[in-house]
This record gives sequence, structure tokens and C-alpha cells, in this order.
Amino acid sequence: MRQKFVALAETGDPAIRRELVEAHLGLAEYLARRFSHRGEPVDDLVQVSSMALLKAVDRFDPGRGVEFSTYATHTIAGELKRHFRDKGWAVRAPRRMQELYLTLGDSIGRLSQELGRSPTIAELAAETRVSEEEVLEALEAGQAYRLASLDAPAPGDDEGESLASHLGDEDPRMSAAEERATLSPLIQALPPRQQLILHLRFFEGLTQLEIAKRLGISQMHVSRLLARSLAELRTAAEQS
Amino acid sequence: MPGTDEVRLSAPATTELPRLARLTASGLACRLGFSYDEVEDLRLAIDELCFSLIGTQGRPGVVHLMFTLDDETLEVEGTLESGERGPDPVPSGLSRKILEALVDDHEVRRNGRDQLTFWMRKRRLQLAG
Repeated sequence: MRQKFVALAETGDPAIRRELVEAHLGLAEYLARRFSHRGEPVDDLVQVSSMALLKAVDRFDPGRGVEFSTYATHTIAGELKRHFRDKGWAVRAPRRMQELYLTLGDSIGRLSQELGRSPTIAELAAETRVSEEEVLEALEAGQAYRLASLDAPAPGDDEGESLASHLGDEDPRMSAAEERATLSPLIQALPPRQQLILHLRFFEGLTQLEIAKRLGISQMHVSRLLARSLAELRTAAEQS
Repeated sequence: MPGTDEVRLSAPATTELPRLARLTASGLACRLGFSYDEVEDLRLAIDELCFSLIGTQGRPGVVHLMFTLDDETLEVEGTLESGERGPDPVPSGLSRKILEALVDDHEVRRNGRDQLTFWMRKRRLQLAG
């Protein structure tokens, strides 16, 4: 493999380049999937990751004694992080707040598990070593975070199962369909997975934490999906 | 009243209002030791209630917000003074259902000719551990 990189450096042969890229596409896809729990469509991440792989192949210097996989992992992960920072936000939030928001997502999951309940804001502030005001500001900034494609596979799900599949054979959307239809035909216009999360929160009375556990996604993701669904319902209600 | 605190603020009834109300409410909820879950519910409820006053596009006029807190309860009241008679507040069944899940009590009512008011109360759950 190293010799191929040497040959590429010497000749710039596009066939060698293509071969090297193809040989490492699995790595690019693997890394993209590791970022898939952050609420971006996996296809988009694979695209970002593949472009970063091209860059890594072009820039790799086989004479420096570093394995290509190490170099490429670093390059691709860097591009993926940049993608989240720069493109994952519908409205620009300060970078520090964007990063804190992502850190909080991890802390919420960890603390919820440790404490067996939802952490307080003070506990989150202590865990992430920032002030309570900064935690609240980051949560507010998170409102601007671009939401996941609801058709994207569930996080951590390599098989690409849908969120709904976490619920087994039973389809609770049907059991409350009548009640929801009576309350608002607007809900029926939402994508099925948004309907599902609305159903679990407002018709079954599950907390956001319980929904997160049940669907195997982060609580922050549940929170964003709920906020988005309600915003869509309000807009639709005004237009109807 | 001992142990009770009150915060008031007034702001134009624009689309910036929900953000301002969310931030203030969550800051005060934080003082009461609300959990992340509860703060997120509160933020959603504030959005829904602000919508009942100013819609998604804002309205002419001013909204007066009053936040009242005691040891474990936060109440938020918002009144729109529009200077014009808007439509009567008719929270949809869905909106009521949503708010019932998010807060302990809530109400949206007309106050005289040109005022709309929302009110909500949310109590902190006792921490288990």
C-alpha cells in the first residue's frame, strides 16, 4: 500500500489515486457512521467523509513514516467535526456555544444513566465545568441546530433500521390514531416518525428521557424533534 | 410573601419574544433546581403559550411577562397589549393537550377589548437521588 502512495506521489496517476481511494472507502464510511448520532443524515456524512478521504489521499506523504489509516482518520474526523460546526447550524451560533451544546448532549446521557433521572442544570454545569447561564445559552443555541433527517437511520444503528422499528411489532401510532385525528388533522400531515415522538410525549405521557431510552437516541435529539414538530404544527395551524 | 420572588419584563410582541421568555423562564427554573427534562418541557410550553398571544409572525403591541417563583413552583403570565382587538383566544384541543403534558396548569384568556393573557404553572419534581 505504501508503495502505491509512493507511486502516486511520483506519477500523480489517476488510476492509482482511484484505487487508493476505493481501498479506504470503508474507513470513510465507518467514521461517518460514528458521527451519525449527532443528528445529520448518514448519506451527507458519508459524502463529507469521502471528500475528506480524497483530500487525505492527495496530501499523504508516505515518506513521513505515519500509516495512511492514521493520517486519514485524523483528516476525515477533522472534516466531519468542521461539517457539524459550520453546516449543522441553521442559524449561526457562536462556535463555543455549538461545541458546548454537543458536549452537553454527551453529559446529559451520561448523567441521566448515573443518576437514574434527568440531571439538573446545576449538575450539568458542574459536569461540563461552565456556568449555569452558559448551559442555558447553549441549550438555546441548540434550538438553531439543524435537525436530523427523520428518515435517517437511528443512531448507532448500522443496519439502518428506522426509529419506528425500535418499538417492535406493535404500532402505537395506530392505537391513538383516532384521538389524534380528532384533535388535529395537522398531526397526520407530519412525517410518521415525528408523529411517533409526539404520540409518545403527549398522548402516552412519556418524558423526553423515557422516549430517548425507548428509541435509542439522545435526549437532546428527542428535544429537538419535539421542538421542531411543535413549530411545524403551529405554522400549519396558522395557515389552515 | 416570604419565599416568593417576582420578575417582570416587557418586550415588543415580535418573533424575538419567545426566545426572551424561554431564556428568562429557564434561568429562573434553574434557580429552583429544575431538571433538564423539566426545563425542556418549560421551554416548549413557553413557545406554545407565546404562540397563543402573537402567532408565529408577531403582532403589533407589547407583551408584559411576569415570572413568579416560590420554593418549587414557577408561574409565568404573559399579557399582550395590542391596542387593537385581535381574534379571540381559542387554544386548539391539540394545543391544550400539549400544554397539559408540559405544565401543571395553564390558561389562555381575553382581558378586556385589546388584551390577551396566558398563564402557566410548573412545579419541580422532587429529585430521586
